[in-house]
Amino acid sequence: MSEWWDKQIQRADQLIPSANGSKDLLKFYAHLLRAQKDIYEFLRSRKDWLPSGDLESDLPVLLDALPGFLKVIQSYGPESLAAEAHDLLDADLQVITQKVMSYWLNPSDIQFFEKALIQPYLRWVAESGARPVRQEVSAGERYCPFCGGSPQVSFLQNKETTAESGNRDLICGTCLSSWEFRRVVCANCGEERPAKLGYFHSPEFDHVRIEACDTCKHYIKGVDLTRVGFAAPIVDEIDSAPLDLWAREHGYTKIELNLVGL
Amino acid sequence: MEVSRRTFIKTTLIGGAGVTVFGFSLAPVYAQTQGLKIARTTETRSTCPYCSVSCGVIIHTLGDKAKNAIPQVVHVEGDPDHPINRGTLCPKGASLQQDIVNERRLLKPQVRRPGATDWEDISWDACVDEIARWTKKTRDATFIDKDKNGYTVNRLETIGWIGGCTDTNELNFLAVKTMRSMGVCYFETQARV
Repeated sequence: MSEWWDKQIQRADQLIPSANGSKDLLKFYAHLLRAQKDIYEFLRSRKDWLPSGDLESDLPVLLDALPGFLKVIQSYGPESLAAEAHDLLDADLQVITQKVMSYWLNPSDIQFFEKALIQPYLRWVAESGARPVRQEVSAGERYCPFCGGSPQVSFLQNKETTAESGNRDLICGTCLSSWEFRRVVCANCGEERPAKLGYFHSPEFDHVRIEACDTCKHYIKGVDLTRVGFAAPIVDEIDSAPLDLWAREHGYTKIELNLVGL
Repeated sequence: MEVSRRTFIKTTLIGGAGVTVFGFSLAPVYAQTQGLKIARTTETRSTCPYCSVSCGVIIHTLGDKAKNAIPQVVHVEGDPDHPINRGTLCPKGASLQQDIVNERRLLKPQVRRPGATDWEDISWDACVDEIARWTKKTRDATFIDKDKNGYTVNRLETIGWIGGCTDTNELNFLAVKTMRSMGVCYFETQARV
């Protein structure tokens, strides 16, 4: 639903004025979210067409939305992304198809354009009732049950009306859908020993924390919606970018990078 | 040359450019990072000690694991993954943190002697010795080996045992073995965990 995209965009717009070190990242992300929403709306409003979940057959439709998306990145992205967007605008359709299909079969969080393009597509696939069709999908508790992607951010949210504590969900970096996950467990390696799991907080970002594992040295950011109910995890995660740098300085690697590369 | 994701990220973040993998400048983010006050907590799953419902709790402990730092419990909440309470707690369970961090909490055993008005601190060793001595004395004095009809019963009706809801199977196994071997009849383990 487009309301989901609107919520993310509104949250980004809300955070930009008060953002400190991450202001430029948030400004870009707000533009990116609008461009992704446009792709989603383009797919959703197409008459007599529903996605099959098989990207190879859906790609011609998806690529119709690509030029508008690339122009946004060219206008608002950093130099390197803008240059790549410019090249892609002039690139042969076959080359682009090859790049996107390569990501589809083997997703990587350092492929910006492919990931940003696939996210709205997969959201529409999920909402239309189809399932992604791929040769190999990672299975297991820590992978997205819908598309097999890795978790990008976790969030806590009350699910029992009388509970004060939040259930933990993970958001997939590939399709942006969420799934339930246990609280005191590493989202990367499954470590459960409390002494090996560190939660790092800072008063500057009261509702966001680093959930780190000393066994695999990976981390994921957690957004506590029981403290700030109107937060949008994928946006608040970018607002709290200084926590990512702190985690990296202390030897932790993020499980899945977001679309600003942190 | 094949470059791994980890190497690629490290190179772009720590290299002279100070940019993310997608080319965003990290200078302003880095400046804010320098001013952050970061605290580490751990989350430990446990069981509420109050009643036999045995609700699951998560105990938040503040401490950076430094050897000279004393960890401190800063928050206790219901465990949302626990099948019994699914994150909910009663008012007593919800106030567990104040029970753990409380200047009036007893940290060593105490005894009030017959006729005394005050409690007296004793060591754990003295406490265990005293319990053993009183248990033996009571058992020797009140043990019932046969009932009024002459049937052998081997009962001890003057001592009872009440377990706690956090007692594990292993502890309860030992408690049952010990109490039954002494003939104790009045026995409740609250065995739920």
